[in-house]
Amino acid sequence: MATTRRQPTKAQIRRQKMEELVIYPIDWLEERSGLVGGVRYFLFRNVPSDINWMQTLGSAALTAFLVQAITGVILAMYYVPSAATDPATGKPVAWESIVNISDNLTLGWLVRGMHRWGASVFIILMFLHMGRVFLFGAYKYPRELNWIIGVLILLMGMLEGFTGYLLPWDQTAYWATVVGINLNGTAPILGPWLAQFLRSGQEIGGETLTRFYSLHMLVIPGAIIALITLHLYLVVRLGVTSPPWSKDAAGGDPVEAEEPARRPGLTRPVPRTANGAAMQAEPGGRE
Amino acid sequence: MAAIPKEKPSRIEEARAGFARYKADVKARGKPFYPYAMFHDTIMSLVVVFTIIGLAAIWKWSAYGPHHDPTHKGLLGPIVDPPADPGTTSFVPRPDWYFYFLFYLLRIFKWPESVFLGTIGVPTIALVLLIGLPFLDRRLERRPSARPVAMVAGVLVILSMGILTWKGATAKEALASEVIQDVPRWIQQEHLPPAAVPGAKLFATAGCTACHTYAGSGGSNLGAPDLTNIGTRNLGIQFQINHLKCPSCVNPGSPMPKFASLGETRLHQLAVFLEASKGTH
Repeated sequence: MATTRRQPTKAQIRRQKMEELVIYPIDWLEERSGLVGGVRYFLFRNVPSDINWMQTLGSAALTAFLVQAITGVILAMYYVPSAATDPATGKPVAWESIVNISDNLTLGWLVRGMHRWGASVFIILMFLHMGRVFLFGAYKYPRELNWIIGVLILLMGMLEGFTGYLLPWDQTAYWATVVGINLNGTAPILGPWLAQFLRSGQEIGGETLTRFYSLHMLVIPGAIIALITLHLYLVVRLGVTSPPWSKDAAGGDPVEAEEPARRPGLTRPVPRTANGAAMQAEPGGRE
Repeated sequence: MAAIPKEKPSRIEEARAGFARYKADVKARGKPFYPYAMFHDTIMSLVVVFTIIGLAAIWKWSAYGPHHDPTHKGLLGPIVDPPADPGTTSFVPRPDWYFYFLFYLLRIFKWPESVFLGTIGVPTIALVLLIGLPFLDRRLERRPSARPVAMVAGVLVILSMGILTWKGATAKEALASEVIQDVPRWIQQEHLPPAAVPGAKLFATAGCTACHTYAGSGGSNLGAPDLTNIGTRNLGIQFQINHLKCPSCVNPGSPMPKFASLGETRLHQLAVFLEASKGTH
């Protein structure tokens, strides 16, 4: 801090007031919620220095989910989940609303196209992310629970695909769902009950459509958001793994360490990094 | 369980020590998430968003065709298919591509003996194994080179899912316009009487061959049985009609859709055809 004894100029006073104006609401929020500290911890927490591009697949899947959420909200403003026949055209109302979104609405084709293909991208990214976690052995202690949550998110994502497929109420949608529900019905004990619940009756019809719509945009997305929140909480709490083949992996195998290099007070040899010397002198002392 | 010698730490102690070491290492030598990791995440996210926009654009610009028809097949399929019509039965049921591996599994397991394995059995076992993975593979070793069993299993899973998806994507669809051309051959090979011919034509066009095979024609989908010699079981005309009207009423758990909308006359024609199918000679 520079020690100036001079009176602050008018510009300096104005500047200080502006800063207070910005900082005050942040301090207010932090004092009452601790959220600012939470965000700061999230952003400035350390991650291993050797993480690589494969480890962006999780956030990429999250981005794809956000695209689905945003485009889904916009589609819900214009889509009509009704299997009733429009007396003017003789076509189902739901099918017409889909054609209307694609053909007449400004950028409607883009929103529906992004939702339609974002679903595939979301599924692909979840599979790739899972493959990365498998390759890195990152499902092992202490991250077992997060693997299970991830599998549940993947399952929910596939259910979103199944329920969303019916909504355009076209031939592909209808017949794929007829068979899909019938296949569910072949399960022992719960199967017939599940098929009955999904159909909401003996035949696929208007009530099936509204039921699938409700599952697709309320129930399953709610579950996915809750699961993603838990997933991210555990990622922040447990940290991100180093690539297991990395020479400089965080928490690397102590058996790998050369025994003679050990010194009292150090659990592993000094890393061969530029600032290694500083760390040796003052382990963990950097703030 | 053998007693653990004192010098050697137990698995969980070793795991805890490893994680404590990890925490200390990250604190001492890591780098902050912002901006380093976040920079990569942002670039990857932008790639994702632009890929999705690109797919949407290709879908729109390659569909419609010259006559602005929303059912025109472009590079990525039509914008929308014709409206849902429970009355038509000639439509080939097809899920979205990421269900193809499940869809194709049903070509391997046939109704009625083993279709249960394809619909529920194998997928349930796969899901349980997937959820249980961290408890099946309890070694702390993370390097792929030192986990040969896990790596081979992983590659086999990826390969089999890839092959099933590919087979599902390229599976030949039994189109009514193509199957109808097989009817004269059926009449000749099966020695069908003239009374069974209207039923044969109906069988070829009403969507039956989307799932069933018959004298070498048809789709073999969703575990549906071959019907080449269904008539040798002498189930009777009335049974066939009842079954077509409501398959799951006659055959509990059958995934076959109902064909009651065809009407009594045509159902009778189909039943006559099925009963006359005594196999190829």
